[in-house]
Amino acid sequence: MNTRLDSFSYDDDIVRKFMWATMIWGLVGFLVGLIIALQLPVPGLNAAPYLTFGRLRPLHTNAVIFAFAGNAFFMGAYYSTQRLLKTRMWSDGLSKFHFWGWQAIIVSAAITLPLGFTQSKEYAELEWPIDIAIAVVWVAFAVNYFVTLAKRRERHIYVAIWFYIASIITVALLHIFNNLSVPAGAFKSYSIYAGVQDAFMQWWYGHNAVAFFLTTPFLGLMYYFMPKAADRPVFSYRLSILHFWTLVFLYIWAGPHHLHYTALPDWASTLGMLFSVMLWMPSWGGMVNGLLTLRGAWHKVTEDPVLKFFVVAVTAYGMSTFEGPMLSIKSINALAHYTDWVIAHVHTGALGWNGFLTFGMVYWLAPRLFQTEMYSKNWVNLHFWLATFGILLYVVAIYSAGATQGLMWRAFDETGRLQYPDFVETVMRLMPMYWVRVAGGTLYIAGMILGIWNLYKTWAKRPAKYEVPVVQAAPLSPTYTDDHAPVAGSAWARFTAMYWHRKWEGMPLFFSVMTAIAVIVASLFEIIPTFLIKSNVPTIASVKPYTPLELAGRNIYQREGCFNCHSQMVRPLMYETERYGDYSKPGESVYEHPFLWGSRRIGPDLARVGGKYPDLWHVRHMYNPREVVQKSIMPAYPHLQTTAIDFNAIQKSVDAMAMIGVPYGDAVNSAPALARAQAEQVAASIVAGGGPAGLADKEIVALTAYLQRLGRDLKNASSGTAQQPAVPAAAKPIAMAAPDGSR
Amino acid sequence: MKLSDIMSAANLSAYAEIAMILFIVAFVAIVIAIFLPGRKRTFDAASRMPLDDEHPQTPR
Repeated sequence: MNTRLDSFSYDDDIVRKFMWATMIWGLVGFLVGLIIALQLPVPGLNAAPYLTFGRLRPLHTNAVIFAFAGNAFFMGAYYSTQRLLKTRMWSDGLSKFHFWGWQAIIVSAAITLPLGFTQSKEYAELEWPIDIAIAVVWVAFAVNYFVTLAKRRERHIYVAIWFYIASIITVALLHIFNNLSVPAGAFKSYSIYAGVQDAFMQWWYGHNAVAFFLTTPFLGLMYYFMPKAADRPVFSYRLSILHFWTLVFLYIWAGPHHLHYTALPDWASTLGMLFSVMLWMPSWGGMVNGLLTLRGAWHKVTEDPVLKFFVVAVTAYGMSTFEGPMLSIKSINALAHYTDWVIAHVHTGALGWNGFLTFGMVYWLAPRLFQTEMYSKNWVNLHFWLATFGILLYVVAIYSAGATQGLMWRAFDETGRLQYPDFVETVMRLMPMYWVRVAGGTLYIAGMILGIWNLYKTWAKRPAKYEVPVVQAAPLSPTYTDDHAPVAGSAWARFTAMYWHRKWEGMPLFFSVMTAIAVIVASLFEIIPTFLIKSNVPTIASVKPYTPLELAGRNIYQREGCFNCHSQMVRPLMYETERYGDYSKPGESVYEHPFLWGSRRIGPDLARVGGKYPDLWHVRHMYNPREVVQKSIMPAYPHLQTTAIDFNAIQKSVDAMAMIGVPYGDAVNSAPALARAQAEQVAASIVAGGGPAGLADKEIVALTAYLQRLGRDLKNASSGTAQQPAVPAAAKPIAMAAPDGSR
Repeated sequence: MKLSDIMSAANLSAYAEIAMILFIVAFVAIVIAIFLPGRKRTFDAASRMPLDDEHPQTPR
């Protein structure tokens, strides 16, 4: 140690910024959640076009994932990374750019999602300009992070850092590849993938957003803050090595379990199931590692509310990572999929694991960051109990809602017919549970408000000027030799001595490359066959692209977020085909950019709705659903009868679709004219049925045309006739363009 | 001939399962490696990294 020491200090200002952002956006995200929870039992609360369930639900999920959990990750990562590496962040400017850039993205999400700008892929709803901004901010964060790693003064990188590295790399990959799309205007784009492949990419992304945005970052935080709060090292460092590598290797495969019994090829679905089940092992390894860190310190848990939050967080992690593998088993998934069961599962994770870990961190950090005692420890305890009972009420109610509805959908009576053929009956049964959820969510939010108030009061008694301790440490020497020499002997002996991993821990860049390889190789094993083996998606000759008007209707369907409550995917299960009709085939989705299969049925599946009702039914139903289905909880969309179709924008949509390979034939040159002609026909049919006149240029006509098309191609094929009653004459040029069979 | 023709003809249906077996083997090997006694002392030192904000565990 006869070397010069560097003097430096840690940047805590950025941590304070992210802490406020975490709590304030968290409250916003939870409040939006409460609003949409209320909109289900009280449909009248869908007060304006931009405040309907379909537009607010993505706002809720994005706010909780990217604003609440995202800012919490950054808060903890900036605090712990600097201390674990014994260095300040490389660039305060980039740290600030990361902070303000991220908040700007959140604000733009909060504006554009209610306006209906959406890619309609779950947790990837934000449109392409915002996606580019996210990539830029993320890269700035990554550059700052990796240069900081290079400038560290601690030779080996701690397990928390491994998890942060994996998160930074993988989130970048997922974000870029799932969001590849062709723009059709400033706030509209179409995924370059279609149907089965788009579904695969989306759930590769979607599941790994859970893995690498809500799990690995928070595991890193757990490995730092849990030992800190308990003041003892993690239970087993070796278990954490196992936990890290198996999690990174296994998680990336699990996405297809979101698509069981859909048109996704069976092998992919089975693979997703097996890897999900295997994930149970490392996940529980991590849980055990976290909980046993408290060995010999359990008495502290009763006194320290921070540890209480952490214990519940890690327990919730254990519960949801037991439940996840279970839900990914096909037979269980058949019951749970499309129901509230999945909603309860994610809330165990988000409210329990992410929420409680965040609150524990905030209450541990606040006295240190504001350099004063917490204003009220009793309030911290009260927050803990409010939030705990809030979660319990929420998940118990919603688990039972999920099981109830799932069982009702599959029930047959003694004559072999569906026992509950009326879908709305299965929804009505859930109303008491929905009210319990509202109560649980309110408790959780009450705790959050108390927490913010407590933070504010603590901040108010901060010192006039924060003390900034100066730390001294030596820079890394370029000529380092490990004092533990490598073990001699056989290859197996060298392997089991784990010297190699110790070495990796001293080489962050190499470590990052290995992590990236783990993630990329596993992805390619699934992605390459999905994209390149033709037998995965047998083509169906009668499946044709949407007409320009139908495409405009589909844009409206996306804008209003209909896919949040309606699936378009009939599974090959007896009770599904009885209720909805023929099951969905992979070849039906080849022009679906993006796929709209959905993940939750708050309303019935729509894959076979085309031709089921007359045009006028849809007009009346959209105007006020309760006029047609008395107990419906669907929002009313009266504005569709007054808003004019932007016919010129249709050309842009058609051109974008043609660019990604949809065979649009002549429509590439004459989309508005074709759309107007079909709109006249639909409007005439509405008038002929006794409906209102003058709708020919209104959005309701486009949406009706789209809904009436769903499932029709397959019916045309099975009826075996060349006539196409559903497709108007004006659309013939499109119908004649044959699919090239290349996808 | 396109890439998808070659891939379709290559009969890769067992491909994913083979990959899965490879990963299980790697997983088991790592489990064994980690839990055999050996370098406990080093790992104990490493696990103390978060507890000291000021002094590196492995300086230089």
